[in-house]
Amino acid sequence: MATTAMGGTKTAAERMRDRAPEMELIRQAQAGSRAAFDTLVRQYEQQVLRLALHLTGSEHDAEDIYQEAFLKAYRYLGNFRFECSFYTWIYRIVTNLCLDQMRRRKTRREDRSVFLDHSGVEFDLLAAVSDDRSFSNPAKELDRKLLGDRIQDALGKLTPRERMVFELKHYQGLRLRTIGEMLNTTEETAKNTLFRATKKLRANLAGLRR
Amino acid sequence: MNCEVAHERIVTAAYGELADEQAHELERHLGGCAACAGEREQMRALKVLADAYPVLEPEANLVARSRLRLEEALDALPPKRWYEWLGQRIGNGVASLWAAPMMASLLLLVGAGAGILGGYEYALVRAARTPQTNQAAGAPLSSPVPDTPGAPVEISNVSSVVSQPNSHRVEVRYSQVVPRQIEGSLDDPAIRQLLMLASANSASAGVRDNSVGLLADECRSGHSCRAGGIQNALMVTLRYDRDAGVRAKALEGLEPYVGQDVEVRNAILDALMNDSDPRIRTAAIGILEPVQGDTSVRQVLHSVANTDVNPHIRTVSRQVLSREPEIQ
Repeated sequence: MATTAMGGTKTAAERMRDRAPEMELIRQAQAGSRAAFDTLVRQYEQQVLRLALHLTGSEHDAEDIYQEAFLKAYRYLGNFRFECSFYTWIYRIVTNLCLDQMRRRKTRREDRSVFLDHSGVEFDLLAAVSDDRSFSNPAKELDRKLLGDRIQDALGKLTPRERMVFELKHYQGLRLRTIGEMLNTTEETAKNTLFRATKKLRANLAGLRR
Repeated sequence: MNCEVAHERIVTAAYGELADEQAHELERHLGGCAACAGEREQMRALKVLADAYPVLEPEANLVARSRLRLEEALDALPPKRWYEWLGQRIGNGVASLWAAPMMASLLLLVGAGAGILGGYEYALVRAARTPQTNQAAGAPLSSPVPDTPGAPVEISNVSSVVSQPNSHRVEVRYSQVVPRQIEGSLDDPAIRQLLMLASANSASAGVRDNSVGLLADECRSGHSCRAGGIQNALMVTLRYDRDAGVRAKALEGLEPYVGQDVEVRNAILDALMNDSDPRIRTAAIGILEPVQGDTSVRQVLHSVANTDVNPHIRTVSRQVLSREPEIQ
């Protein structure tokens, strides 16, 4: 699991000091420096692509989201008022674009309720969920790639918002408080959404029969 | 604690978001509730299972492609107009006014003051542009006579107004913005100076592109580029211009000097190591290929061959190193 947890044990003063060079870059970019903006892009592009790629599962979509996110950031950088970290701000743009993309895709997606293994036989992950034996190392039970696809499908059945909260918590390792900030909601709502997401995921994975 | 609350806390605990006190309560509950203990096992199992769809680092090609596309899109954006900047500033100001009502009044006062001052300056400019009217009205402001008869004159600023005692005379200091035009041979030092100025300062990528292109052609066709500072101007452009096309032209112009001038070589090595555009890095490799005696060239080519994010550039560097075994 990727871990890009924010915050840690640093004090607010330490965090401010760490952020000083970045704040200077942002100010320069706000004053019209393209070089400063390019530096900001380089600082965040890996994280943006990693998130978009994992959420959409498509390089093409990830590339589009990268493009749109940084163009938006460039256009609206003047509106950034240092009330939150730039990291949160750029992630807010990216998560909104990803949510839009997932909502569009959700309306087009075919609802697959049955999954087949290599030999074409329907299989059951419920056994794996309820069986310690297989869960101790799922890769030994199923081909990892196939399993990954099944997980992706189960994730695809979440609402875009649930999917996003689960992504940011489980895969990106962000704090619920930060997730709330990024999604313009409260920590409590993010926590409830995460709870619903895990419940649905378990139900989705348990619903597959061999 | 009831089981419903315990289920919620199991999830937050699994992700390390549960407060110590609540975690302790949860542990006590789980010790006596087999159903909730099973729930925790299922949550742990889900975490393991979800990791079967891992987060992968984006490939270097994808990063390079995305970056290139973004740079092209940014280059194509029209520069922001002054009123857009102003609008944005005002927007920010208005947003923060919700929290600072006193600032609202202050901003209004400043705005009104700026309006009055702006109107006054505008009136001055108008007065300067219509000298005959001033004279007819007997105004003391003498008409600013342009240096070149018939040339349009703009007053950018009035810096001081001093009236002479016991007299009707007044001294006004002002600055003019006078558009000029010059035509001449590319060998003319004045023309070259202007081209160098344009290559470094013009806000328009098109103007910079033209200027650098002309200067580079001069260098490539064998005209002297060292004495007049053209070579330096091209090195600055290669290092700092934000437009990849302009940097590419500067690189071409420096090609004739790569063998003789170590500073030029350093500028090209910088571009090879640091330029954001893979096409320029690739072109830099081609230009450096014939330089065999410089160890820094070998080092940089080795470094690029091993570490560049772009696989094509890594391949080309390796090809150059293998084609020229004597430079390894």
